[in-house]
Amino acid sequence: MGDSSEAKRVRHAASGRIMVPNTGIELPLNLDLSRRDILKIAGYGSLAAFIAACGGGSPGSSGSANVTAKGGSVSIGSNASDPGVKKGLADIVSAFTSANGGTKVRVNTVDHGTFQNTITSYLGGTPEDVFTWFSGHRMRFFASKGLVAPIDDVWSSVKGNFTEGFAASVKGDDGHVYAVPTDYYPWAVFYRKDVFAAGNYKVPTNWDDFKSLCAQMKKDGLIPLAFADKDGWPAQGTFDIINLRLNGYDFHIELLTGKQKWTDSRVTSVFKKWSEITQYYSPAFAGLKWEQGADQLLRKQAGMMVFGLFISDEFTASGSKADLDQLDFFPFPDLGTQYDAEKALDAPIDVFMMSKKSPTLGADSGQAKAFLEFMAKGSTQSIYWQSSPGSIPTAKDTDTSQFPALTQKAVQIVSNAKRITQFFDRDSRPDYAGPDGMQGFLLKYLSNPSGSTSSLQGQMQSFWDSLPPE
Amino acid sequence: MSVLARSTAVARPAAIAQRRFRPGRVILHTFLIAMSAVWVFPLFWAVYSSLRPVGDTIQHGYLSWPSEGLSLVNYQTFLTQADLPYYYLNTLVVAAPAVILTLIVASMIAFACTQFSWRFNLTVLMIFTAGNLLPPQVIIVPLYHIYLNTPLPMFGSIDFGQFSYPLFTDNNLLYGQYLGVTLIHVVFQTGFATFVLSNYMKTISKEITESAIVDGAHVLRIWWNIILPLCRPALAAMATLLFTFIYNDFFWALILMNEGNKRPITSALNNMQGEFFTNDNLIAAGAMLAAIPPILVFIFLQKQFIAGLTLGSTKG
Repeated sequence: MGDSSEAKRVRHAASGRIMVPNTGIELPLNLDLSRRDILKIAGYGSLAAFIAACGGGSPGSSGSANVTAKGGSVSIGSNASDPGVKKGLADIVSAFTSANGGTKVRVNTVDHGTFQNTITSYLGGTPEDVFTWFSGHRMRFFASKGLVAPIDDVWSSVKGNFTEGFAASVKGDDGHVYAVPTDYYPWAVFYRKDVFAAGNYKVPTNWDDFKSLCAQMKKDGLIPLAFADKDGWPAQGTFDIINLRLNGYDFHIELLTGKQKWTDSRVTSVFKKWSEITQYYSPAFAGLKWEQGADQLLRKQAGMMVFGLFISDEFTASGSKADLDQLDFFPFPDLGTQYDAEKALDAPIDVFMMSKKSPTLGADSGQAKAFLEFMAKGSTQSIYWQSSPGSIPTAKDTDTSQFPALTQKAVQIVSNAKRITQFFDRDSRPDYAGPDGMQGFLLKYLSNPSGSTSSLQGQMQSFWDSLPPE
Repeated sequence: MSVLARSTAVARPAAIAQRRFRPGRVILHTFLIAMSAVWVFPLFWAVYSSLRPVGDTIQHGYLSWPSEGLSLVNYQTFLTQADLPYYYLNTLVVAAPAVILTLIVASMIAFACTQFSWRFNLTVLMIFTAGNLLPPQVIIVPLYHIYLNTPLPMFGSIDFGQFSYPLFTDNNLLYGQYLGVTLIHVVFQTGFATFVLSNYMKTISKEITESAIVDGAHVLRIWWNIILPLCRPALAAMATLLFTFIYNDFFWALILMNEGNKRPITSALNNMQGEFFTNDNLIAAGAMLAAIPPILVFIFLQKQFIAGLTLGSTKG
């Protein structure tokens, strides 16, 4: 605070006027501000000096960052708890600190499961300034509850770095932007290249080829489709993709948010289609964890697996580079409908958001926004990717040449997709997606897939109707 | 298992020498061995998994002989990455004051209710006993808001390496503090402790208290110098039980704390799980390490522990 221009600005502020740096313009200023007013003013842009003066740091000199502040402090609520990703975030934090004039960063790491289960009490209590979360319904829900702050100003300065699919994924129901997307991973059909070569199998592009490939694998003594549904959610990945291919993105999202009925004949058709491949699943899949399903693929006992890119984590953990190098995937086959052209798929996006109830946000909002802008850079996201190679950076300016072939292919199929969904449990209400709801219903369906599903669909709908308003 | 087999092999000749071979005994022992195998198996399984590198089980499955041999690599990883001593300390600073406070408060109530006759002493005792029946989940929501709205003064902190115990708070609130979790444990354990201690104190004859009064002892002095020393076995048993209860509890820390690095030892286990991928062998090793303190407490205090189970079951 020693330098004279700083002192002058403070004097100006005290006398009820504020000087915008490098412009010579003076603005009147009412000092009796609520925190909301401060946010509003910050939103006008071009008032970086005001925030800088409040934050007690040196005045900002970076050109584009006009709502951000250097120095000061910021706090982060993080669900990156296992040692690998925890280090990834720590590396980002130290890079941010040195790039942002020594901003002091406090990170509160809570293990992933607990973070998710206690999110409502967390956001309503004393949350950190920014926190890790997911896109989709789960993001929009907390936005509409007023527990997270809109960040349209941050977005306007970073949006050039993201595709339209990502831009759509961070908008709340009210049209404001609430998050910065940081990484994602796609769902697809995974297989081993050497198993396909040995059996002379060809990657199927349509449903009939897919089914005849399954039949051939079965004849050759393989489990055609590794499937492990002990945790309930893996089955939702298959439901999502068949519904997207058969009935399209709009119907899928409306169905998951209650705007369409579960008793609809289009839902029946999904279950009918699905029943054509359930005979090829792993035996006793209801008792297998996903890791065990992935192991069947790794040990060449199974031919394919409909799963997320993080299946590579299991291959990496096996310690065998040779196995990891054999892992490959193809997009789920076309079903011959008009919606094939959407090339829609599940690609859950992780985001950073700003919590409204943070007790320190009033003082830290400039630094919080600076951190969010920092997270939108490809160079920052690459740091995280190093520690968590199963998730892919979202920024356009990421150096993709460093990615292994598998990751590059994943980037490719997601950028080909005209519609991106976030996975069943992120696109729907958590209580509907959970074990009492759809996870249980799908297990029930899978125990007798060829039977009539009308009574099951009735249960799905009445369960939806029985849920309290969100 | 081999220890078990050996000990029965040693015991058998003596048994045969003493009494005749009876089919009933064979059935009994087959049953006992089968039952103990059922109990020991999960523990054995956890130990076995914890000694195998994860790559080995991924390649060959859990139902396989270790192709790469057994190793302590999981324990090593857990000890170096999970910050275990730090989380042990987290549990200790909650559990130790909670046990001491609970015993002080509960013994005071039990003392007042059993050694003196006053109008509502039975009612008070019943209220405390009935409090045991209240499931904690019922009061989460109001409690959460009470904690969020209770201001506390900040008087710095006691630092010990990277560990820091704030006095009394570091955010001006009761919410998110070690102290807050300690207090709620005291509240919920006092009912049970009062119940047990009062039943024990009923066995102490009132003449002791009365003669102390005649000698001119103050009430607090009777409590501290006469009744508490007589209750030592009961207090030791309660301390063991309470410590185990609080050590195993994760519920209150989940609701009343927002910071991951203040949560108890059980959260160190959760921290080692990834968003999707979980190294079960590593978790098994961690679970073994986390189980050590209660096992130690049990071994050193098992006399009190077993006495505690039947404590107060008869009025004497």
